[in-house]
Amino acid sequence: MSLWFELAASGLITGGIYAVVAIGLNLQYGLMRILNISHGEFLMLGAYLAWLGYSVLGVNPLVFLPVVALVMFVVGVAVYRLCFFRIVSTAPAVEVIEARSLLVGFGLLYLVQNAAYLTWGADLRGYSFLGDPVEIAGARFTANRLVVFAFAVGASLLLLAVLRFTLIGKAVRAMMQSPTGAQLVGIDTRFLHPVVFGAGLALAGVAGALLSMVYEISPAMGEPYTVTALIVIVLGGLGSALGSLLGGFLLGVVETFGMHFTSPSLKMVLSYGVLIAVLLARPKGLFAR
Amino acid sequence: MNLRAGLLTVLAGALALAALPWLLSDFLLALALSCIMYAGLAVSWAMFCGATNYLSLATAAFFGLGAYVTAWGAGALPYGLSVLAGGLVAAGFAALVGAAVLHLRGAYFAVITFGLGELVRHSITYYEKAFEGTVGRIIAEAPESTTVYWAVLLVSAAAVATALVVREHRLGLALRGIGSDEERAQTLGVNARRAKIAAFALSAFFAGALGAAMAVRWTYIDPPTVFNPFIGFQTVLIAMVGGAQTILGPIVSAVAFSLLTEFLRLQFPYLFLVILGLLLILLVLYLPGGIASLFVRWRWGRRGA
Repeated sequence: MSLWFELAASGLITGGIYAVVAIGLNLQYGLMRILNISHGEFLMLGAYLAWLGYSVLGVNPLVFLPVVALVMFVVGVAVYRLCFFRIVSTAPAVEVIEARSLLVGFGLLYLVQNAAYLTWGADLRGYSFLGDPVEIAGARFTANRLVVFAFAVGASLLLLAVLRFTLIGKAVRAMMQSPTGAQLVGIDTRFLHPVVFGAGLALAGVAGALLSMVYEISPAMGEPYTVTALIVIVLGGLGSALGSLLGGFLLGVVETFGMHFTSPSLKMVLSYGVLIAVLLARPKGLFAR
Repeated sequence: MNLRAGLLTVLAGALALAALPWLLSDFLLALALSCIMYAGLAVSWAMFCGATNYLSLATAAFFGLGAYVTAWGAGALPYGLSVLAGGLVAAGFAALVGAAVLHLRGAYFAVITFGLGELVRHSITYYEKAFEGTVGRIIAEAPESTTVYWAVLLVSAAAVATALVVREHRLGLALRGIGSDEERAQTLGVNARRAKIAAFALSAFFAGALGAAMAVRWTYIDPPTVFNPFIGFQTVLIAMVGGAQTILGPIVSAVAFSLLTEFLRLQFPYLFLVILGLLLILLVLYLPGGIASLFVRWRWGRRGA
């Protein structure tokens, strides 16, 4: 019994991180049709910011979290302005936006990842933070993993609440349902697009900062998370934030259980197997109505 | 340019390139090999994806499957036959997969083709480890490097010739129709499903054959090398930077990319990729039609577009 609890809990912890990464990516795609393949690189930047904050300035990474979010938000608005604004405003069709933003995403991936290699080198970096084990219902976790889980779920729920209850959140949802209709009722795309893109990167940065408390970081750490986030948003449905949250948890749990009962080397086979099965059975996502 | 002249140009070009092993040093020949391989991959990718606007990221999967056919058949199959078999296996796989996923479009199609590639890679890794007890395979008897060069040249030239023929053929028309408006094309009597599966399999054939031909260059084969997603991404980048609706564009940009990569990557590995990334962004933003849009403007008007 305690084994099942432990597996489920650690699956949910992993899934919480997946959810934060995926929600940011999903918002960008749902709103602007920008499939930002370099999402994970900004997660990596967030992780390095938190590490710098801890090791150079000596700031508690949890306190530093809002700073990371703010910095990444500003970076996101700048990236949107410099790269994606031109694509979104000049492309003749949605498919063209998708293709070109994918290419620009690859460009950003090369640019950011290798700039990080130039700056920090290829070494693994890390720091220890809240590494003591905590016992809950017979299962043991390190404290930092629980903190990470709490913050990941907190950030996701906060974002869902913003989307559901505030005016700007309603505007975002309106734009996802019908871009033209939203513009007709006076929603300002030129304001909303950079803000949502920035929010997506802020979420990626927060996820990276959280990860840096638990795992060692390196310039290549982001890529696997991009791939996982793609799987999660397809699982949960493109454009659905709640779907991403649930999809993230699902994938985390499936991976953890699958790895325990089969073999760790099958982890990726399992996630892609789930992805392909879902896409074939329900092409619009698991939770689509 | 009509079809006959185009095919003659390809033949002449291939014959001229076939003489290179007598003219170039080993290093330059390896460079030429990489240019030709990427030209073949990019042209075969554009054959399906450029015309239909479907963004496939499965090239690495086809390439790797082809390479594994060579590795598994090493010793049993002669080199020429394993190149052919590699292409056929990749094409068969593409037809199967295509039948299952070609109703998806846009980002879904891109993600699932990428996922399939990774699935094949991880399945082969697992299979080799669990049942064969190995991580990689050593290819003991590799043919001469000039033989490999000619094989890759032959496959790439065949890919270009096929792309020319397909463009003039009904299949090419159907594909372009699907690319501009799939539902309208179906209404006008195009069997979209069959056309897509056929073209997807055809383009996979060349990627698989190139993988099978290149496999012997490595002597040691393991899944991370031959299913390297970088091969797939590089192919897509080359084709799109060159102009995926054209045939000449991907060839020109394959040569440019390979030369750039070869000369700069060794000296400045990270800085090179930073610059490559920047270049890619600038190209997409300011030259969205690809390199081909430069010479299309002053050479010939767009045909039938």
